Amino acid sequence: MIKYVYIPFFLFVVSLWAQEKYSTKNGIIVFEASVPSFEEVKAKNENVSAILNADTGEFASLVLINGFRFKVALMEEHFNENYMESSKFPKAVVKGTLENFSFSEINTEKREFKLKGTITIHGVTKPLETVMALYKSGDSVKLTSKFDLQPSDFNIEIPKIVKNKIAEKVTITVQYSLLK
Amino acid sequence: MKKRNFLIAFLVIVAGAYTGYKYLYKSHRNIEAEVALLKVEAKQLVAMLLSDNSQGILNKTVEVTGIITEIENQSITLDEAIQCTFSQLPKGLELNKKVTIKGRCIGYDDLFELAKLDQCSLTNYL
Repeated sequence: MIKYVYIPFFLFVVSLWAQEKYSTKNGIIVFEASVPSFEEVKAKNENVSAILNADTGEFASLVLINGFRFKVALMEEHFNENYMESSKFPKAVVKGTLENFSFSEINTEKREFKLKGTITIHGVTKPLETVMALYKSGDSVKLTSKFDLQPSDFNIEIPKIVKNKIAEKVTITVQYSLLK
Repeated sequence: MKKRNFLIAFLVIVAGAYTGYKYLYKSHRNIEAEVALLKVEAKQLVAMLLSDNSQGILNKTVEVTGIITEIENQSITLDEAIQCTFSQLPKGLELNKKVTIKGRCIGYDDLFELAKLDQCSLTNYL
């Protein structure tokens, strides 16, 4: 009889231990699609959410498109209204797993893991493979990544008139400071 | 006569260039100075964002009232429902105090189940 009492307790402890999650609500994503000698096409979002499951390496991140800030107000307006259609598709999401992830291997020196998953932008989901670098700094786990995307892959049309002013490849830089 | 035509043409070009420049490099919205589209409790805004007509609130200036449940470097959370981000956090904010915040609604975050406002300002400290 006693052992049946212990099982739920045991399960409870395991599930607590299995929920080692590191997260942030204030992650930073910068993207740049500048072409030399034209106006800088660059925006920053400092409100990005991300969660990393320290036991399994599962990773998820969500960014609200409306939160990207440009230097030029008109560019910000066009980005939301014409290209990203942020009222129809208000968020972009990355979901995936860090391969061969082991939390105990992370220390103050950068260690790289391959993320395999999907990315959803403008309502279109595509596979994503990128490298993420992780290291510890105090209580937090820093996570950085950099990858290129093509707007055409996500049905984002760039009008002819501005085509030569926007790079075909958009570089995305990710910087998270994850806390337990 | 010729001189006058030249002068008029010159003025038209200058005026055109000026309007063009004004259009291309118009200034950013000043959320703090804008009149809020709606004034609601924190949880009400979340309910509205989760409803079908959420598009009407996105990118709009709103005023929300709630109790501070979390304070971070640049942001506070109201009623565990809305995260409000400031360019600089106002001084004297304390947990469990009721405040009214004005900001731009940028959407709903499914990961944390939070609505998010940016460019916030404190309008009332109760």
